[in-house]
Amino acid sequence: MMAGATYRDTPIAGTSVFTGARSRQGYRINKFSMSLTDPANRDAFKADEAGYMRRFGMTDAEIDLVRKRDWKGLVAAGGNIYVLIKVGGAVGENLLKMGAQMRGQSFEEFMKTRPGQQGVAVPRDH
Amino acid sequence: MARIVGGIGCSHAPSIAHSFDRGLQKDPMWKPLYDGFEPAKEWLEKLKPDLIVAVYNDHMNRFFFDAYPTFALGVADRHPQADEGWGKRDFPDLPGNAEFSWHLAQSLVEDEFDPTICQEMTVDHGILSILPLLTDNRWPAPLVPLAANVIQHPLPTPKRFFHLGQAIRLAVETYPQDLRVLVVATGGMSHQLHGDRFGFMNPAWDNEFLDKLESDPQALVALRHHDYMERGGAESVEMIMWLAMRSALGEKVRRVHRHYYAPMLTGYGLVVFEGVDG
Repeated sequence: MMAGATYRDTPIAGTSVFTGARSRQGYRINKFSMSLTDPANRDAFKADEAGYMRRFGMTDAEIDLVRKRDWKGLVAAGGNIYVLIKVGGAVGENLLKMGAQMRGQSFEEFMKTRPGQQGVAVPRDH
Repeated sequence: MARIVGGIGCSHAPSIAHSFDRGLQKDPMWKPLYDGFEPAKEWLEKLKPDLIVAVYNDHMNRFFFDAYPTFALGVADRHPQADEGWGKRDFPDLPGNAEFSWHLAQSLVEDEFDPTICQEMTVDHGILSILPLLTDNRWPAPLVPLAANVIQHPLPTPKRFFHLGQAIRLAVETYPQDLRVLVVATGGMSHQLHGDRFGFMNPAWDNEFLDKLESDPQALVALRHHDYMERGGAESVEMIMWLAMRSALGEKVRRVHRHYYAPMLTGYGLVVFEGVDG
């Protein structure tokens, strides 16, 4: 056994590690989000967002976070980014836009920080 | 007897799949990535493996947190593509090898690994973002998917992944047919996809990882999940899966190819090894 190899809630700045506690907290949000891997569910969600989310037992506050496309709030509520991307896909937002919002930047501001846009991303063979 | 003839470690990412599907191979931002894959593609074309064992992770396309397996092994003859939320890509199902997979299951269990055994295993970008960059064929060989939990903590330790690769090697070497097996491990290098640190990348650390993976993997085995997440971003912890590929090749390796490029959100790393222990 290698004690301490697994994560033990030691803080990492700007980071919400997806622990068991977060997975419990965000269970309804994440279950709703994963359901959007089914095209019929995506259609049902788009037709009536709130009604669809209530089926998963989401609270009014959680539904409101989705209504506002508040990705930072959804992560804080236990949402996992890998399933929140599916919500983003259903509402026409991509990961770059979601991330810019989480950083409190406009999409354009965020893109200026990317090495590929700055021309400083250099491929390395060794 | 079957034997391992090579290993590939590479980043997976939905962005790679999107660039491929949109035909951005020559786009100035994407071209370095695709150029970087060319030598691996040529190597694989010559290698012609009979079977691929792929260590990767699912992104809530096959598994959900209602019952999330720490390790899960696909044992089917076909692995359909998952709809990740924006429709399926235009690819045929991946061929599998149920017979070898059941042998691997038995060997792993005897070796004290206890994966969830999956007779239905849809696969996502953990495998399918990368495979089209490694081959123009659909597909190069039957593939055995071995998924790991690198998302919901507690995760298997780096040491566990190192042992997993050794267990894969033992399983291959005890398989009676003369199969030539390629071991692939995927997992994004530095990246963080949430919070204030969204977009964090650390090319220096990624390249240190690539150095050590080749020459001093025990230095990587000794690190904690916290260390990986601090150095490379929370989601980069999935790099630990590469350790299974490395250990499957034995004590020493010869590097065939290495490439790194980090233009947008994720450090795209690629390494091709051959074992030299015989």
